[in-house]
Amino acid sequence: MAGTLQVSVISPEQVLFEGPASAVTAPGFDGEMGILPMHAPLMTLLGNGTLRIESTGGMKQFRVSGGFLQVVDDTVRVVTEEASAVA
Amino acid sequence: MAKGRELKGRIKSVENTRKITRTMEMVAASKMKRATDRVAAARPYALALGEVLARLVRPEIAEKFPLLRQPASKRKVALLLLTANRGLCGAFNTNLIREARARIAELEAQGAEVEVHIVGKKGIAFFKYLGRSISSERIDIGDRPSAADAASLIDALTDRFAKGELDGVHITYAKFQSALSTPPTTEQVVPVVPPATQGTPRDFLLAPDAETIVESLLPAYVRNMVYRALVETVAGEQSARRTAMKNATDNASDMITLLRRTYNSARQAQITQEIAEIVGGAAALE
Repeated sequence: MAGTLQVSVISPEQVLFEGPASAVTAPGFDGEMGILPMHAPLMTLLGNGTLRIESTGGMKQFRVSGGFLQVVDDTVRVVTEEASAVA
Repeated sequence: MAKGRELKGRIKSVENTRKITRTMEMVAASKMKRATDRVAAARPYALALGEVLARLVRPEIAEKFPLLRQPASKRKVALLLLTANRGLCGAFNTNLIREARARIAELEAQGAEVEVHIVGKKGIAFFKYLGRSISSERIDIGDRPSAADAASLIDALTDRFAKGELDGVHITYAKFQSALSTPPTTEQVVPVVPPATQGTPRDFLLAPDAETIVESLLPAYVRNMVYRALVETVAGEQSARRTAMKNATDNASDMITLLRRTYNSARQAQITQEIAEIVGGAAALE
């Protein structure tokens, strides 16, 4: 598996997470979706649920509701109005 | 020594004032730091949303969204004015109010009926003094506006725009360009002006389709515009207050120097006079 993903989780008030990750599991509008490196460019809406990021520093989880996710060139951007870290 | 005591009292009083203004300056400086951090933190989200909308909004689909509708004529528009709850920040509130009044006059000259929505005690007080009707007023938004505050301000207005009751919503706020430059600015919130496309267009897999994505992102974009305006206005207020209080502190210091000089020369004159009197008295005895 080549490369890693650059992931950022952005809410209106702050950038919640920014860093490399090997995989992202996001709550899509119609079900969970997994994103690995070399993903095709994608833009999708998110539903409600838990966003999981397999980062180098361990698994990070965020509760998100709504917003969207964009993948371009191994850069994943999660932009959501409501996001909070789950311990 | 009556004059001397009077001068001493004034020096004391100016010193106390300086103590207050210096404290306010320091408080405003630290609040400004936090407020500018929030302005910076809000930027990535605005950029990300704007970029996506710029990619997805095409003239063909624009007609389908009420928030992108361009009304043929402006009959009734809303102006949202953001001001501070507190004064002692120089011409900050005055400038915002002046900008808002200029905009209202401009819109009314175009034949539109303008309803005014105001945030902040200073703006409310001024428009009440003018005797102008205020459609809604809010004073509960403090130094740390949240995205929820922005939503509560704008959602009702965008709904009315979508229904066709309003032909536009504008917002007047202090744009935070730097700590020294926070010009009052008016921007059109709805109809939404999609940001210009930048960079190379790419083919994306879209899920669901472009229209659905745009539909759910437009309200977020509008709310974010208002959130950004709120955050920038708070930062502007604090930086204006810091500058005003710095000037006040400097002026107080100048005044103290001057008063002290006057006091010392009065004291010296008095001593000289007393010595002259003693010498004169001694000479008279011989």
